[in-house]
Amino acid sequence: MLYREAGQFKTSYAKDQAIFPIRQDRILMAILIAIAVLGVPALASEYFLETIFVPFLIFALAAIGLNILTGYCGQLSLGTGGFMACGAFFAYKLATAFPELHLVIIFLLSGLGTALVGAAFGLPSLRIKGFYLAVATLAAQFFLVWMFNKFDWWTNYSASGVISAPPREVVPGFFLTGNDASAVTKYLFLVCFVALMALIAKNLVRGRFGRSWMAIRDMDIAAEIIGIRPLWAKLSAFAVSSFYIGVAGALWAFVYTGSVEALAFQIDRSFQVLFMVIIGGLGSILGSFLGAAFIVLLPILLNNGMLAIDPTISTALVSHIEFMIFGALIVLFLIVEPHGLARLWQIGKEKLRLWPFPH
Amino acid sequence: MNASAIRNIGGWAIGVPLVIALLGFAFQGLASFNSSFFFAWPYFIEVLIAGLLQGVMYSLVALGFVLIFKASGIFNFAQGSMVLFAALTMVGFIEMGLHWTIAFAITAVVMALVAVGIERLVLRPLVNQPHIILFMSTIGIFYFLDGFGQTLWGSDIKVLDIGIPKTPMFVGKGMFEGGLLINSFDLVAAFVGAALVIALAVFFHYTRIGRALRAVADDHQAAMSIGIPLKTIWVVVWTAAGVVALVAGIMWGSKAGVQFSLALIALKALPVLILGGFTSIPGAIVGGLIIGSSEQLAEVFLGPLFGGAIQDWFAYMLALVFLLFRPQGLFGEKIIERI
Amino acid sequence: MTAATLERPAPPAQSDASDASAPNPRRNFSEELLKVEDISLSFGGVKALTNISFDIRKHEIRAIIGPNGAGKSSMLNVINGFYHPQVGSITYKGQTRSQMRPHEAAKTGIARTFQNIALFKGMSTLDNIMTGRLLKMRKNFLWQALYWGPALKEELEHREKVEEIIDFLEIQAIRKTPVGRLPYGLQKRVELGRALAMEPDLLLLDEPMAGMNVEEKEDMCRFILDVNDEFGTTIALIEHDMGVVMDISDRVVVLDYGRLLADGTPDEVRANQLVIDAYLGVSHD
Repeated sequence: MLYREAGQFKTSYAKDQAIFPIRQDRILMAILIAIAVLGVPALASEYFLETIFVPFLIFALAAIGLNILTGYCGQLSLGTGGFMACGAFFAYKLATAFPELHLVIIFLLSGLGTALVGAAFGLPSLRIKGFYLAVATLAAQFFLVWMFNKFDWWTNYSASGVISAPPREVVPGFFLTGNDASAVTKYLFLVCFVALMALIAKNLVRGRFGRSWMAIRDMDIAAEIIGIRPLWAKLSAFAVSSFYIGVAGALWAFVYTGSVEALAFQIDRSFQVLFMVIIGGLGSILGSFLGAAFIVLLPILLNNGMLAIDPTISTALVSHIEFMIFGALIVLFLIVEPHGLARLWQIGKEKLRLWPFPH
Repeated sequence: MNASAIRNIGGWAIGVPLVIALLGFAFQGLASFNSSFFFAWPYFIEVLIAGLLQGVMYSLVALGFVLIFKASGIFNFAQGSMVLFAALTMVGFIEMGLHWTIAFAITAVVMALVAVGIERLVLRPLVNQPHIILFMSTIGIFYFLDGFGQTLWGSDIKVLDIGIPKTPMFVGKGMFEGGLLINSFDLVAAFVGAALVIALAVFFHYTRIGRALRAVADDHQAAMSIGIPLKTIWVVVWTAAGVVALVAGIMWGSKAGVQFSLALIALKALPVLILGGFTSIPGAIVGGLIIGSSEQLAEVFLGPLFGGAIQDWFAYMLALVFLLFRPQGLFGEKIIERI
Repeated sequence: MTAATLERPAPPAQSDASDASAPNPRRNFSEELLKVEDISLSFGGVKALTNISFDIRKHEIRAIIGPNGAGKSSMLNVINGFYHPQVGSITYKGQTRSQMRPHEAAKTGIARTFQNIALFKGMSTLDNIMTGRLLKMRKNFLWQALYWGPALKEELEHREKVEEIIDFLEIQAIRKTPVGRLPYGLQKRVELGRALAMEPDLLLLDEPMAGMNVEEKEDMCRFILDVNDEFGTTIALIEHDMGVVMDISDRVVVLDYGRLLADGTPDEVRANQLVIDAYLGVSHD
């Protein structure tokens, strides 16, 4: 009875096109934002913020990026790890070369750089589709990681090949990177930043760009015939997607881990983000968040769960079992609900609309 | 054999040595400009042969992909983990004290069971889904088998030795000073690969089930409507791919030890498929040879230019460039789009 | 739409020219919109089209008929640039070229529907029709990202246009339904809507009534005639239902085995011996 749209009449197309056309959704969203900004930092411990919320938000951003490419534009990519590495190393070079640049500008610039790289590796998508394209993106993955690993110009000639984020303030007095950075600063910055980026992504996918991406995804030939140029649609999807992934990579290196090497962005990372997108829901911004939460939480829960059952269990075995469960879950999700958690959420809402009357 | 096939073969017979010779001259020229490069014809040939034999190993993995793709239109990303799983299982049985032939037989049965499981639990519920969904489900299988194999058998590097001789030998002493160095193990691998290809080709072209497989590859629903038992076909194909994976696993495992990286080496089979075409068994072989040899040559002769280890990505880049010019591969069927 | 129009047993075309009080633009077509000359198209060794020449004049309804495999769809594919003929030229709006690119054709006002529905299955009816407006949307990336100011205004202007089309086609109720869930007849209608949203000068319809029952066919005929009348859109359509073709079209092209068999008014074509032979099959002895 609580979740009804009856009686809410839209008097303009603008209201009908809003992200949350139903009042209850808007209220729910406001509560969520309040909890995220006020509740979580007050209640969660430093440890929880650092190990769960920070990676969750960064992964959500990467998942949004991949979702734009794979979920909205239908171009399968296995190069996410490579593009994240791009963002991380671009940010490092920028931050060390221009110490006076503000961090947010560094992140955005490294995102732009990654967007260029992504568009370049997206060029083959004009001739090839599906699995073939997946193989082409593997080239990006392996080439980029090799490049960052091989040329120590990228790491400013550090012997270990590890880059460490220089300490920087996000607003005067609050360090976002380096040893003085507090978990709460990191978290609050990420909440604001990621929410803003997600809003922008949502705006893009419901407007002109999103429609041309989805048209290409659903039927590229028909899309071309109604005047969408596949070249621009696909390349813009690659560029926007890589921008998001690049920024996520920069955040990963700077805010989450603080120091990182190229090998942290191996192909496993690509799969990890792909799983978030599949489990969360292809073609859904909300799904990117749900998928990221799921994939970040699952290993922690499994780990603790297995340790609770058998405290002597080896970490290797835990990680193998984790692999198995991941794999099984992917298959399960594809069978039960190819549209992922986001679709389950929607079904839940539809049920709620009818509740307590079944029909 | 018709005229065009003869022309094709003639083209290959002239083209391949020509390309190899041109590459050799190119490297020779490079070496004469830059003294940090070393070049000598016998060495070049040696690297080429080593690359070709490495290519055979790639082909072995690629064959499994082709089998499944031909029969079900599924791009089986899990082939690599099937290789690892098969090799791990076989080593496990050998470690229990069984003779390798018995271990081989038992492992083949295990792979058949895996095939049945995949058909029941993954393919059957996903029949008639878009290809991309099936592809992603095989990524799930990839992870599952990786985890499962290592949960069962542990993740230490294991030695798999079924008695293939690994003695280096010299051939062609008359042609070159000192002859060419070749590992006998690689030769055995090449023979096994050839035998496997011939067996599969016969299977596909001359048996009833082979014809049914080709019908299924074209259209699931149409094949079902004329009474081809899809489930049986799939189990057969996945079993065959499992056995191919087992053979590949034995070869790779004997060469480099059975370890997790096997599953990732198998990713190299992807560029092989791009070159050879997804549906062609000879394509998988030729593609493997091209990838193996060019990768080896690039690493040895061009690698120093880029700081080495370009093997990591060279094959993928080659495939990518190739795709731009011939998206259907060397032997694949050209797709005419209709609307 | 009024009940009166719904009850028309078969849409009259030739007859209502005389009783129209206002001058009807459909009747006086002399101006050429598109002309194809000597078009030949082959795939490998298979000849799909051989030396085809005909024209389409402004405001007319032009039918392309012929037995299965006659090359009708290939002809439309050539016109909107999906296939590139090996020989021949296409003159559209006074510009002659040897081939079109699909998005160029779209930009210059050629829209089309497909024999096998080519809608974007993952999107709602509204979004599908909105894609028809994409070419007319101009606001840049930054405004799009903000979804505010000019971009929002533009979006709403186009939404209004799309709503007009939705009203015209009477599909208000399925506005937000994903098109994959719609029945066949409605999907065809949505596809027509998407083409209309492009505000085309030339509308190519590939078997718009295939697989429909009589009632749906009547609806579709009415929409086609209305589009032609109200918007002045030139229409080229492929159709197998001879009754419909003879009723609504102004001129007919007949293709058979990739060759032009006849070209003229419905009455002329009906009387043509070659056409009768092609359709009924005659032993040539």
